[in-house]
Amino acid sequence: MTAAVEFQNVSRHFGTVRAVDGVDLTIAEGSFFAMLGPSGSGKTTCLRLISGFEKPTGGTIRIFGEDVSSTPPHLRNVNTVFQDYALFPHLNVRDNVAYGLMVKGMGRAARYAKAEEMLALVHLDAYGDRKPAQLSGGQRQRVALARALVNEPRVLLLDEPLGALDLKLREAMQDELKALQKRLGLTFVFVTHDQHEALSMADSLAVFNEGRIAQIGTPQDIYDRPATRFVADFVGSSNVLPPDLTRAMGGPPEWASLRPEATRLAPTGPVRGTVTALRYLGSGTRVVISMGETDVAALVPAGQPVPDEGETTAIAFDQAALHLMGPA
Amino acid sequence: MTTASAILPARGLADHLTAVFWRHPRVLLALLLTPPLLWLGVVYLGSLAALLLQSFYSIDEFSGVVKEEFTLKTYGELLRPSNFDILVRTVTMAALVTLACAILAFPIAYYAARYAKGHWKAAFYLGVMLPLWSSYLVKVYAWKLILAKEGILGWAAERTHTSWIIDGLLSIPGLEGSSLSTSPIGTFAVFVYIWLPYMILPMQAALERVPNSMLEASADLGATRAQTLRTVILPLALPGVIAGSIFTFSLTLGDYIIPQIIGNSANFIGMAVYQLQGTAGNIPLAAAFAVVPIAIMLIYLAIARRMGAFDAL
Amino acid sequence: MLSDRSPFSLRAAAVGGLLFLHLPILLIFLYAFTTEERSFQFPPPGLTTQWFGVAWNDRPDIWPPLWLSLKVATIATAIALVLGTLVAAAMTRTAFFGREQISLLILLPIALPGVITGMALRSAFGVMDIPFSVWTIVLGHATFCIVIVYNNAVARLRRLSGGIMEASADLGANAFQTFRHVLLPNMGSALLAGGMLAFALSFDEVIVTIFTAGSGAEAKTLPIWMLDELIRPRQRPVTNVVAIVVFAATFLPILAAYYLTRGGSETAGMGK
Repeated sequence: MTAAVEFQNVSRHFGTVRAVDGVDLTIAEGSFFAMLGPSGSGKTTCLRLISGFEKPTGGTIRIFGEDVSSTPPHLRNVNTVFQDYALFPHLNVRDNVAYGLMVKGMGRAARYAKAEEMLALVHLDAYGDRKPAQLSGGQRQRVALARALVNEPRVLLLDEPLGALDLKLREAMQDELKALQKRLGLTFVFVTHDQHEALSMADSLAVFNEGRIAQIGTPQDIYDRPATRFVADFVGSSNVLPPDLTRAMGGPPEWASLRPEATRLAPTGPVRGTVTALRYLGSGTRVVISMGETDVAALVPAGQPVPDEGETTAIAFDQAALHLMGPA
Repeated sequence: MTTASAILPARGLADHLTAVFWRHPRVLLALLLTPPLLWLGVVYLGSLAALLLQSFYSIDEFSGVVKEEFTLKTYGELLRPSNFDILVRTVTMAALVTLACAILAFPIAYYAARYAKGHWKAAFYLGVMLPLWSSYLVKVYAWKLILAKEGILGWAAERTHTSWIIDGLLSIPGLEGSSLSTSPIGTFAVFVYIWLPYMILPMQAALERVPNSMLEASADLGATRAQTLRTVILPLALPGVIAGSIFTFSLTLGDYIIPQIIGNSANFIGMAVYQLQGTAGNIPLAAAFAVVPIAIMLIYLAIARRMGAFDAL
Repeated sequence: MLSDRSPFSLRAAAVGGLLFLHLPILLIFLYAFTTEERSFQFPPPGLTTQWFGVAWNDRPDIWPPLWLSLKVATIATAIALVLGTLVAAAMTRTAFFGREQISLLILLPIALPGVITGMALRSAFGVMDIPFSVWTIVLGHATFCIVIVYNNAVARLRRLSGGIMEASADLGANAFQTFRHVLLPNMGSALLAGGMLAFALSFDEVIVTIFTAGSGAEAKTLPIWMLDELIRPRQRPVTNVVAIVVFAATFLPILAAYYLTRGGSETAGMGK
């Protein structure tokens, strides 16, 4: 099976700024792929390289096997849901959705029928006559989605599409987007800086840092086995242990990550520390223990005894949970 | 599931051209810029070059024919006392007008920037915009009506028994005239009136950038209203004043309609240019006169840029 | 603490300043109704509406200048609309070499005093032996009208979300479709406003026009006619009637332009 999108050593430099620097990646057809990273890490530039709004300064981009280096955006069969939605303010919702069909020459009746169909899909059947300014943020987001999907793109690009929504709406839209993607069987490429969003929605994801991919894999891979200190820091609530602490805990003298839920409190152990903070999470209590220079968090499941702040304690864990990683 | 290709076929010339624009953004830029740059470059810069060229020609005093040979003689003529007087008179007038505009504009700009809210703010804005844009000649004409001896100002002075003030002003040496409309005072008043909006708008823009918290900080530190005005507000308004003065100064330097209609027909640079190119037919000297405001404004702009006035435009 | 109420003296000075800017214009209206035609006597000895009839019926010298001014303003505005929009479209794109110089070049015709623009054109016509005509007037007017349209267009383009142009391309529109279906509808009111201001400016222009019109009677625009009447008055109230027409022809487009671009900064600042 051909890959939906393939980057081969792709770079995008702006003068001396390396926004994207030697990226290789393959996005499988029909998958939900997330690009995760802090702002300025190159993830949005990568998305714009796929849509054609940026041109690579080096490397090759293929969409379904075809080199797109000389294909302008309007001839690429991919569509984007923009971060600020970029709805046309002078057109009503129906004309916004039908725009792509209109410029491709489809007749009015046919394109309106398809637009209404698509509006029904995003539960906005009754809103065709409104102007974008008369819609709420969540509704605009759905219009942007319908406007992109009506063109039946081979790949749908989503640039932080949920960033402007409040938390409750955001979670509802996450489920809805995921369901939609499954139903349509489309390839979604989703850019976000929210690790929970990326982990919960994606089939696979790439973690970006300073224009390069720090790690690429399934959410499970990335959460359980972060390749670098940056990934562990950015993605999870994992403990990052410096080499000396790893050795004191029975591992080799290397950087390691240790998930709080893989640990339990123990009266004795190789390293002891003082409890400095407690946070009740409902399903358990997160206990922060100061061990020399490093704070280590442990999760005490609900129902088990919780120490007081200031008490001294040690932690125990299965050695397999200690995950070694590169220094960067 | 769709099976369309990932690349759509181009459907005609427009699609192909768009692809060319995308691959070579400079082609589109060149297409956009060529017509306007040709116009401005050829018509305007070409004309300025012609002006400069003419100013280095001279006129044969006997035949009145323009000699198309390079000479600095025409510029030398600017220094003749009668011509030099014109330069001094114009620059002095421009400086006085600018000063008066700055003083008159300040309360309006300050009030509009600091206190006017909502509808009042829009009203103030429109109240300055409309006189700025509305017909120049009509405004000058209005002052002809006001300043005429039998006009509204004279009538009001007579009714309030203050005619002696106008008579007193008109008897000051250098400001004489049979009425305000034939005295330099009239010329000055009309200049101030016509260019005042050009001072208010940039001044207001500069004052709007003074945050209220800064004024409060000054008051907190024990400054009186007058001290705050002098040490905080005025320095911060200065870039706006300079931006505004570029307009008032430059516009006064070049105007020849106002002194022609109102005043004692003493010559200004603009009038000299107008008369020399017209009745006198001395285009080289007219061109040399026209170069003077350009030179003055270039120096003025260089100073203003150094004082940060362009951020206020 | 600072109060939010202004001191009375400041408010009085501000309102007084605004009245100072507006009251003189009202006198123009009053004098159009006076019965005294040889001086500017105040208060008018009597009021009459006869001058409107006189201007309409008995002064054929008014009409050719009026048509000429309308013609010149229309052509100059059309040229300025095309050229100003083109520069604005180019300038909103990313930085390129010479950008600063171009914005200065556009500004120059109104930044320098009108007498220089006028004299420069006059010199060029002299050097190149171009005879005066309607087109020499248009040449000058279009040159300083470009910046008016440009200012309006650029302010609107800056306010438009750049995303909608990309969205249009993303949805399959080529550059021409994007121009027609997205850019033009969103720029429309700003261009209309810019066109109106340019028209008002051209219709009223006298300083540059005198240098580019020549001395023939057929080259007399309405402002030049007015200037002649100011210098050699006859039937002064008729001049007032024409002044009212000129004032309305500039005032109404300005007001319309303001309402078309409300919320933006298009009409602000950079004046004529």
